[in-house]
Amino acid sequence: MSWTVGILRASQRAGTVRANFLCPAMALSPRPLAAIPLGGAWAVAATSKMATVKCELMKNFSSEEAVRNSKISIVGTGSVGMACAISILLKGLSDELALVDVDEGRLKGETMDLQHGSPFVKMPNIVSSRDYLVTANSSLVIITAGARQEKGETRLNLVQRNVAIFKLMMSNIVQYSPRCKLIVVSNPVDILTYVAWKLSAFPQNRVIGSGCNLDTARFRFLIGQRLSIHSESCHGWILGEHGDSSVPVWSGVNIAGVPLKELNLDIGTDKDPEQWKNVHRDVVASAYEIIKMKGYTSWAIGLSVADLTESILKNLRRVHPVSTRIKGLYGINEEVFLSVPCILGESGITDLIKVKLAPEEEAHLQKSAKTLWDIQKELKF
Amino acid sequence: MSSVKEQLIENLTEEDKVSQSKITIVGTGAVGMACAICILLKDLADELALVDVVTDKLKGETMDLQHGSLFFNTSKIVSGKDYSVSANSKLVIITAGARQQEGESRLNLVQRNVDIMKSIIPAIVQNSPDCKMLIVSNPVDILTYVVWKLSGLPATRVIGSGCNLDSARFRYLIGQKLGVHPSSCHGWIIGEHGDSSVPLWSGVNVAGVSLKSLDPNIGTDSDKDHWKNIHKEVVGSAYEIIKLKGYTSWGIGLSVTDLVKSILKNLRRVHPVSTMVKGSYGIKEEIFLSIPCVLGRNGVSDVVKVNLNSEEEALLKKSASTLWNVQKDLRF
Repeated sequence: MSWTVGILRASQRAGTVRANFLCPAMALSPRPLAAIPLGGAWAVAATSKMATVKCELMKNFSSEEAVRNSKISIVGTGSVGMACAISILLKGLSDELALVDVDEGRLKGETMDLQHGSPFVKMPNIVSSRDYLVTANSSLVIITAGARQEKGETRLNLVQRNVAIFKLMMSNIVQYSPRCKLIVVSNPVDILTYVAWKLSAFPQNRVIGSGCNLDTARFRFLIGQRLSIHSESCHGWILGEHGDSSVPVWSGVNIAGVPLKELNLDIGTDKDPEQWKNVHRDVVASAYEIIKMKGYTSWAIGLSVADLTESILKNLRRVHPVSTRIKGLYGINEEVFLSVPCILGESGITDLIKVKLAPEEEAHLQKSAKTLWDIQKELKF
Repeated sequence: MSSVKEQLIENLTEEDKVSQSKITIVGTGAVGMACAICILLKDLADELALVDVVTDKLKGETMDLQHGSLFFNTSKIVSGKDYSVSANSKLVIITAGARQQEGESRLNLVQRNVDIMKSIIPAIVQNSPDCKMLIVSNPVDILTYVVWKLSGLPATRVIGSGCNLDSARFRYLIGQKLGVHPSSCHGWIIGEHGDSSVPLWSGVNVAGVSLKSLDPNIGTDSDKDHWKNIHKEVVGSAYEIIKLKGYTSWGIGLSVTDLVKSILKNLRRVHPVSTMVKGSYGIKEEIFLSIPCVLGRNGVSDVVKVNLNSEEEALLKKSASTLWNVQKDLRF
C-alpha cells in the first residue's frame, strides 16, 4: 500500500505471561467527522498483528484519532510539486502532508524518499495515493498538476485539455475537503484559477492562483541586486497576468519608504538612462531562461508557494500578489482572475488592496482581461 | 547625473565580503540540489557556491535558487565551472560522480568515480586548504578514502556521509513499526553504506528501553516479529526508490544537511559517518567505514567506542575486507 492505514487498538493486555503475550490489533473504522461526507483522518503506523516488543515497550492510553489541523495536499509530484513539498516540510507548516499523482511509481518513490528524512525534520505524517481519499480533511490543497504545452499547440487547446483534467481533480478534492482553500500553480495560472473556481463552486476567497507571487519575488531579487540590498528590504509589485504581460507598478517601488520614482521620474520608461525597465524584462524572461538551462523551474516557485501557505495556515493576513477574481475593478467587466495585492489568511483571500494604477497600467490590465476572456469564453465545462 | 542608487543610499563603509560560513556543493544533480535547498532553508550558510561541469544546468539551478532569495537568508549564491568560486569554503560537499543505475551495485561505480575525483579534489584543496570535506558520491566509503588520498588533508577533515542515511531509514522504519516519531527511536547502522551494513540491535532503544531487553531474539532469524526485515528494507531502500522515481534525493539531502549543521555550528553531536577506522575493531587496512563520530568545527574530533558482539565485529571486518578488495585495485 502506498499509504499507511491507522489501526486503532484496544489497550487491553491479553495475559500477564510475558512469553505468550499477544496484542490483539483491532481495526476499527474511523469515526466520520461531522459534516464531512467520507472518512476521517487516518493515523500513522501500520502495526503487525503480533507486535510483542511494542506492547512490552508502551502502555497505550488513548485510541483517539488525531485531528489534523493543518493538513496540506499537493496534487502532482513533478518538480514543482516536490519543491513545494520540501519547502513546506522544512518550514514545518503542516501536521500531515498528502501527495497525489497519477504516476504511482513516481508517487511512491518520492514519498519514501521524503519519509527517509524523518529523523532530521519535525516531519509530519506523509501519505500518498492515486486515490483522492488521502486528501480528506485538508486545510489547503495545492494544484501543480496539468497538461504541459505541446509544440505548436494553441493556448486554447492546452486550456481545454486542462479543463478535462481539472474536472476530475476538482470533484475529488471538493468531495473530500469541502472547506479547503485551493492554491492553483499550474499554468496558464490565471485561466486555470478561473477554471478551478468554476468547477469547484467554491466562494472566490478560497480559490487562489499563485499568479504574480513569483514574478514579484524575482522583481525584488533583481532590484536588490542592482542596489546591493537584500530583496526583503526592496519593495515592488508586479500585478496582472502572470507571464509576458505582467505589469510592474513602478510608482510603488521603494526602499525604506523612499519611492525610486521620486529619485528618477523616468524609471521604467524607455527614456530612463538607467533602463530599470530591463529589470521587468528580465523577470518575464526568467522562466524561459531557466527552462532552457535546466529544463524546468522548481526551487523559486516552491519557496514562493510555501510562503503563501504560511500566510494561509497561520492566518497571518500578510499581503501577497496572487491571482483573484477581478471583475468590477479597474474597469474590467469580464469574469477573469488577475494578480493584485491580496490579504491572505485562514479563509483565503479576505480582502484586496486597491492599488492606484496609472492609466497605461490600467489599460494593460484591461487588455490582459480581454485576452484571458477570449480564451475562457470558448471553454466547454 | 546621479543614479537612483547614489541618490537613495549613502555609503558609510566598505562591505565586508568575507563569508564566515561558506559552503560549496560540487555537483548540481538531484542530490546536490537537494542538499542546497535543505541548507538554504535551514539557514546554515552565509554563502553558497555551486560547481558543476554542465554549465547550462549549473546556471539554471543557480538562477532558480537566487530567485527564491526573498524567502531565505543566504545572501550570496554563486556558481561556476572554475573552482575559484569555491575559495574560502568552510565545508565542501562532494555529490558529483556517476549515478547508480537501476540494479547496479555501488562498487560498480568505483573506477569511474575515482577519475572524476582526480579532476575535482586538488582544485578544491587549493582554493580552501582549511576546509572540511563531506563526501556523498557512491560508493561513499571507498570514495572517501580516495578523496582523503588525493587531498592530502588529515583524515579527520575528510568525512563520508556513510551510514547517516541508513541509520535515518532504520529509525524511520522502527518508528513506523512502533507508531513513534523517528526522532524518538534510536538505532545505529554502521560499517559499509550499502549491502553489507551492520545494524546494531543491542543499541536500538526508545526512551532508553532497549528493544533487545524486551525480545532477546530481535534481529535474528528466530525472531517471530521479523525485526530483521527492517534492516533488509534499509539495504533495499535506495534500489527501490531508484526503481520508482529514478534516483534518491530528499532523504540524502536532509541527512547531509544534518551533518552540515553539526560541523558548521560545532555541535559535537554523534553521527554514524564514514571515517578512517584502521586500528579499531581489529581492522588493519586503511579503509573508511561508518562508526559513531563526534562532529564539530574541525571535522571528526572523536569516535565513540561501541561494544560490538562477536557477530557484529565479524560483519564489520567482512565489510572492511569487501571494501579493501576493491580499493587495492584502484589506479590513482
